[in-house]
Amino acid sequence: MSDFQIRLSGSGGQGLQLAAKILTGALLHEGKRVAQSTSYEPTSRGGLSRSDLVIGEDAVGYPLVTDLDCLLILDQVAVDGSLDVIRPSTLVLMDSERVTAAPTPDCRPVSLPLVQAARGIGNVRTANIIALSVLAELAGFCRTETLKQIIENRMPPRFVPLNLEALEAGIDMARSAEPPK
Amino acid sequence: MSTRQNLQNLQGNHACALAAIHAGCRFYAGYPITPSSEIAETMSAELPKVDGLFIQMEDEIASMGAIIGASAGGAKVMTATSGPGFSLKQENLGYAALTEIPSVIVNVMRGGPSTGMPTRPAQGDIMQARWGTHGDHPTIALTPWSVEEVYAETIRAFNLAELLRTPVIILFDEVIGHLVETVDLARFENPDITDRKWADGKIEGFRPYADPGDGVPAMARPGDGRRVHTTGLSHGEDGFPTQDAELVAQFMARLLGKIETHRKEIERVDIRSCDDADVVIVAYGITARAAYRAVETLRQRGVKAGLFRPVTLWPFPEDAFKKVAERARLVLVPEMNAGQLILEIERLVSGKTRVAGVNLYFGDPITPQQIVETAEAELKQ
Repeated sequence: MSDFQIRLSGSGGQGLQLAAKILTGALLHEGKRVAQSTSYEPTSRGGLSRSDLVIGEDAVGYPLVTDLDCLLILDQVAVDGSLDVIRPSTLVLMDSERVTAAPTPDCRPVSLPLVQAARGIGNVRTANIIALSVLAELAGFCRTETLKQIIENRMPPRFVPLNLEALEAGIDMARSAEPPK
Repeated sequence: MSTRQNLQNLQGNHACALAAIHAGCRFYAGYPITPSSEIAETMSAELPKVDGLFIQMEDEIASMGAIIGASAGGAKVMTATSGPGFSLKQENLGYAALTEIPSVIVNVMRGGPSTGMPTRPAQGDIMQARWGTHGDHPTIALTPWSVEEVYAETIRAFNLAELLRTPVIILFDEVIGHLVETVDLARFENPDITDRKWADGKIEGFRPYADPGDGVPAMARPGDGRRVHTTGLSHGEDGFPTQDAELVAQFMARLLGKIETHRKEIERVDIRSCDDADVVIVAYGITARAAYRAVETLRQRGVKAGLFRPVTLWPFPEDAFKKVAERARLVLVPEMNAGQLILEIERLVSGKTRVAGVNLYFGDPITPQQIVETAEAELKQ
């Protein structure tokens, strides 16, 4: 059971499914096998939205998460939804503006101004890419260089520069952040 | 076998649509419904590329009618839906069964009853798949547990529909429908494809529903000059309505019998670690993925557990199951419903083995841990 488990969670419309899609593309590119599942509400904006990934070197057995290695919480609405899969070793990345406190003290929390940084580069919707970039940089499950390639190759060209800027912002933020426990 | 790989990240619904086209599907009619909509979406994009036809119909009933018509016209056909739509398709599904028109119907199960929980998984439609349309009728239903198996079973669904001239239902849950997995498509490069048996020989005196010996009459190719009358009324070999008891008895024996005599081709089971199993877990779809993880955990804890997974859910692979259940102390049936397959399991073990369920139907998939805990608690009793 050496699978690596990640959950990207937040509010519907924050781009969590897109972030997961970019990540699964990057992981395939790096030769890994993934299982990615989703949970969302029947609304196009708002409500709990999450995307889970189980990464294996070989075919994934059980495709849903049971013990998270990494958790992103981009909105308060997603704080309580993961209590059953957070372990003391789970790295929990939270947005410092939209999430008031870690879901449990028994985890490795990191609170960073992800949404504020997105606003800083001119589009709050890039918080998903900034967060993905920070998480990949902190936890090392995927090279940010590969994420960059996927963004360049898969996104509509007019959105590529903005998202690459977000990716870079995330790398900078991760490198200057205090490392999690 | 080639060792070359063709790895792709594919969603369950996406895999279903691509496999359908691979199997020869050239007509799709549907009415988008969560959590099956990506099947319609993919078909609408991909079918035109192979000179196929995609129609978004006005509703679910019309979608089912349209695929029956297109199949009678010679095409391999599919529609996809979820619970509420599956309810609406039932009457026409029975029509396809009685008129013996090959068709593939996908039901991506979500929380019910009624419109229920559109984005949440469930397995509450399995008895509906078996008995949803009225009257005694043949049913084939397949329940894949992974994206790769969705691909394989979709191809098989088309093959069985064409081989046996019958509707085939593919049943999976929202989790499998929306699950993205890395799959190796290389193994599907040259799949076995079954095509419809067309009537040949003398046109004069053609009897469209006469038994050629295997229970499956050859279909007349539209426009080939053979006279065919198609009706949902009970009919004899000539296809015309009858209420003659002897003719109807003959017809029904063939209609139901063609499934029984082809069980070898229809049944597919996946049996894991059952040789010495004290606990046999019977599961399908995403729940079987949890069950298999539970088997591994139970074995690590010293409990001899095994998995019996009916890939073909209907007709239920009875003989294979009985063999596995014979030596078990406990048969556990986890399912995302209030207890449906468990009824069939209880019937088959006839009180000889203890049977217990794990039933969660509130929108979340059953976890391996929940299955392990129930198995351990039941064994203590």
